[in-house]
Amino acid sequence: MNDEITTPGAAASDGTDVSRRRFLRIATTTGAAVVLSTAAGVPAVSASQAGVHGAGGAGEKKLRVYVLVVDGLRPDEITPDTTPHLYTLRAEGTNFPQARALPVMETLPNHVMMMTGVRPDRSGVPANDVYDRAEGAVRTLDRPSDIRVPTLLERVAETGRVSGSVLSKEYLYTIFGERASVRWEPEPLIPITDHAPDLATKLALSAMVAETDPDLVFVNLGDVDRVGHADLTGTSLGLLRAGALSATDAYVGRFVDELRSSGRWESSVVMVIADHSMDWSHGHKVISLQAPLEADAALAGRIAIAQNGGADLLTFTGPEADRAAAVARMREIALATPGVLSVHRPGSLRLAPDCADLVVYCKAGWRFSDPTPISNPIPGNHGHPATEPIPFFIAGGHPRVRKGAMSSALATTVDVAPTVGELLGLPPIEGGYDGEVRREALFSRGG
Amino acid sequence: MNRRQVLRTGSLAAVGGVTLAGPAVAAGAEQPFRHGVASGDPLPDSVLLWTRLTPSAGATPGSGRGEESLVGWEVAHDAGFRRIAARGHVRTGPDRDHTVKADVVGLDPDTWYFYRFSWRGSSSPVGRTRTAPAVGSAVASLRFGVVSCSNWQAGQFAAYRHLAERGDLDLVIHLGDYLYEYGAESDAPRRHDPPVEMTTLEHYRRRHAQYKTDPSLQALHAAAPFAVTWDDHESANDAWSGGAENHTEPDEGAWADRKTVSQQAYAEWMPVRYEPGGKLYRRLTFGSLAELSMLDLRSYRSEQVAHPFDRGVHDEERTITGKEQLDWLTAGLTTATSQWKLVGNSVMISPVQFPSTLNNRELEAVAEMLGPIEGVPYNVDQWDGYTSDRAAVLRALRDHGVSGTVFLTGDIHSGWAADLPADPMTYPLSGDSVATELVCTSVTSDNLDDYLKLPPRTLSLVVEAVIKLANPHVKYLDFDSHGFSVLEVTPAQVRMDWFRLADRADPASAAEVTASYRVPAGSDKLERAPRSMDGIVPRHEAATEHELAAAHRQALARQEAR
Repeated sequence: MNDEITTPGAAASDGTDVSRRRFLRIATTTGAAVVLSTAAGVPAVSASQAGVHGAGGAGEKKLRVYVLVVDGLRPDEITPDTTPHLYTLRAEGTNFPQARALPVMETLPNHVMMMTGVRPDRSGVPANDVYDRAEGAVRTLDRPSDIRVPTLLERVAETGRVSGSVLSKEYLYTIFGERASVRWEPEPLIPITDHAPDLATKLALSAMVAETDPDLVFVNLGDVDRVGHADLTGTSLGLLRAGALSATDAYVGRFVDELRSSGRWESSVVMVIADHSMDWSHGHKVISLQAPLEADAALAGRIAIAQNGGADLLTFTGPEADRAAAVARMREIALATPGVLSVHRPGSLRLAPDCADLVVYCKAGWRFSDPTPISNPIPGNHGHPATEPIPFFIAGGHPRVRKGAMSSALATTVDVAPTVGELLGLPPIEGGYDGEVRREALFSRGG
Repeated sequence: MNRRQVLRTGSLAAVGGVTLAGPAVAAGAEQPFRHGVASGDPLPDSVLLWTRLTPSAGATPGSGRGEESLVGWEVAHDAGFRRIAARGHVRTGPDRDHTVKADVVGLDPDTWYFYRFSWRGSSSPVGRTRTAPAVGSAVASLRFGVVSCSNWQAGQFAAYRHLAERGDLDLVIHLGDYLYEYGAESDAPRRHDPPVEMTTLEHYRRRHAQYKTDPSLQALHAAAPFAVTWDDHESANDAWSGGAENHTEPDEGAWADRKTVSQQAYAEWMPVRYEPGGKLYRRLTFGSLAELSMLDLRSYRSEQVAHPFDRGVHDEERTITGKEQLDWLTAGLTTATSQWKLVGNSVMISPVQFPSTLNNRELEAVAEMLGPIEGVPYNVDQWDGYTSDRAAVLRALRDHGVSGTVFLTGDIHSGWAADLPADPMTYPLSGDSVATELVCTSVTSDNLDDYLKLPPRTLSLVVEAVIKLANPHVKYLDFDSHGFSVLEVTPAQVRMDWFRLADRADPASAAEVTASYRVPAGSDKLERAPRSMDGIVPRHEAATEHELAAAHRQALARQEAR
């Protein structure tokens, strides 16, 4: 038995009600209920389609796009033994073995790139954590206003179609906010990791698809990443990681089965991608830049560090007149620190110039821990170039999907939006995409 | 004529009614283009053409005699030269031993061409070459022949003939030891000219010329473009920047002079974009699918250490590449946009520990094959002798998350396939590999059964099993076979097939596939392929499964006994 509850939202200044929300409470096969919030006007399939295909059956839509992000999945982890469903799905579609995440190789910037199609210097989200100059503090970019450009989620909704977000991590849920026509708020949240287990995420995805049948759903499955961060055994004996891979793989397999059994498969395009890869550091390979920077008389008390695992974003907080000399000194100190791979100006990585003065990467097998050497006790790590390689493949039963193909193209996370945009026939965005339509995976329209 | 049409014919011999492969292509001994034709270093819009003119009877290689000449060249879309794509003239003369190199530009990418030279009414044999695909373009497949270590005196070049007859190769990669410096050996099946060890410009030119008279080598050069690099024997055994194991001063003159003349002859006689004083290391690209970095591991290297226990192998000041080339290599690998980063690497980069469980006879034979050692066989002429440079390369791959690096290697007269461990200490547990290495065997040069003077696949099996036990990243090892390899590159995988000659002394020798290994995209790890790319079960390896298992047991027992 599903319930609908409509709540009045806040009135906009012109008096129109722009955020009128409705809650759908959907019973699931496990007995647990999934609660979705929707924009007004999103029909429930159980109401509109029942009797034609039965509750949860496919309607007349010719195209449905599902973007499944397996957070932190390494491309070499997709094997016939450990992830048979992903392996098969990949073999049935078009695979991009050269695919890479883009700087900074963290969750928020890459999810935002996927949904906007623009690099962080335009999207506004360069890293998970930045020093916010206006607020004078390091903070996580988890506010809806942090994304400065339209995302696919509202662009699809604006065309009268339905978009959905099923995001397992709390900060992903909050940054994408109410952009999608249908949203799932991750629950139950696991303490410390702040994410919902993939079991819950998968249930929410299935319920959302069955009940609201979105044209586009953006999904984040967080277990593989969260277990990767916590897995003290690293790659050599990553039993926990293997367990998470196996479980998440099974959830993806079940979702694909549901698409087939509900009759949606032939109209589905399923993109599977990761937002970054994963590297494991040893306990003695920790870089803490706060102390050496503070030890410098010109920098003491005038440095802010936003630690992003494999990348430190350094900002000089002193007077503007001192900035150039301070940045040169910061670069010098960072490069002299063991474990540091390279130092970059944000603009060279297509990050907004005001997000930091310098971006410092660590070598493979290392991690940053700032402000103190015990601030980051997590061995599983990403953000640095070693964690750029990601799985990225486009599968599904839709006739436009090229089956059993492999492409050498340098596909990246920023290509998702233009590719989805092309599939759904969305109008161009202002300034154009930074990513490319991955035509290698698609037959041309009517072709 | 596109590549598919050529492939369908199955053999070059049927293309356009022109015979390109096989002995028939060998230029007549009296005709002015008697050293054949060649092409090399294809770019998307150009390719380098090569020949040698003999303008008069006295203008023999190395003689310094003969007049200057103007040689014409033509490039056509068809074997009948009805659709000419480009034509021109090149001057040559005794100053460059009458060799001709024409860099033909303005060609279409990813296209087969036919070419020939002309002089005073005589035409050269027709060669066939292919430009590289356009930069960034999607490429479905590439096939390369891979060869090394072709010692004239050790046998016949049937391996080249087999490659020439395939008709499906886009390029042939020669990884060095294209020719050998040694003087004539009395018991050799065919003897070197000049009969002395080559030390002068005349010697080097004459030796190059002799090799270029081999009909199988001529056929292969005429069939496909080459990408070449030198190893040591193009100058002298175990060469380094300041000398060579096989160079004695002052009896053989100054090393600097010998190095200069060897490089001059190489530039003159090889279809390569290299001129004396320039850099041999260079990079070729093949659309978005692959790039090929050809290394020069002789010109800039520090002297080899005397023995494997010399701590100099880890000395950061010692180099195998030279700093400039190392920076060029690592920068290229970490910023590459091509999927597969192939590295033409004249000596092995995989770490190889040679266990002490071999008996004296085996040790001596392995030592004979692998180079300078004292007590324990350990090849300090390879990257193993320069661990700092190797660490820099592998570290760069790991730090930058570079996938798809495959080292293509020669030098060691044996077939190997190995993972390149990110960390050799943890590799047995983790299996983590940052790249792979595929080593082709020698065209003719001696290997283990030759040194042991035993039938192939007998005692060598035990030696191979022992080495693989001590080096779990080594997946395939064949110490006995001579032959060639074929490399196939696709977006899905890189794979190599190893072929073994039935008899290296027989120019008509049959060849059979011995093994096939592949690197699936994104894995940087080797897998054994059950069938070769021609669809054949590698009979040689399959047939020795039982023997390999027995050898493995034997090796384990010996290890325990000690």
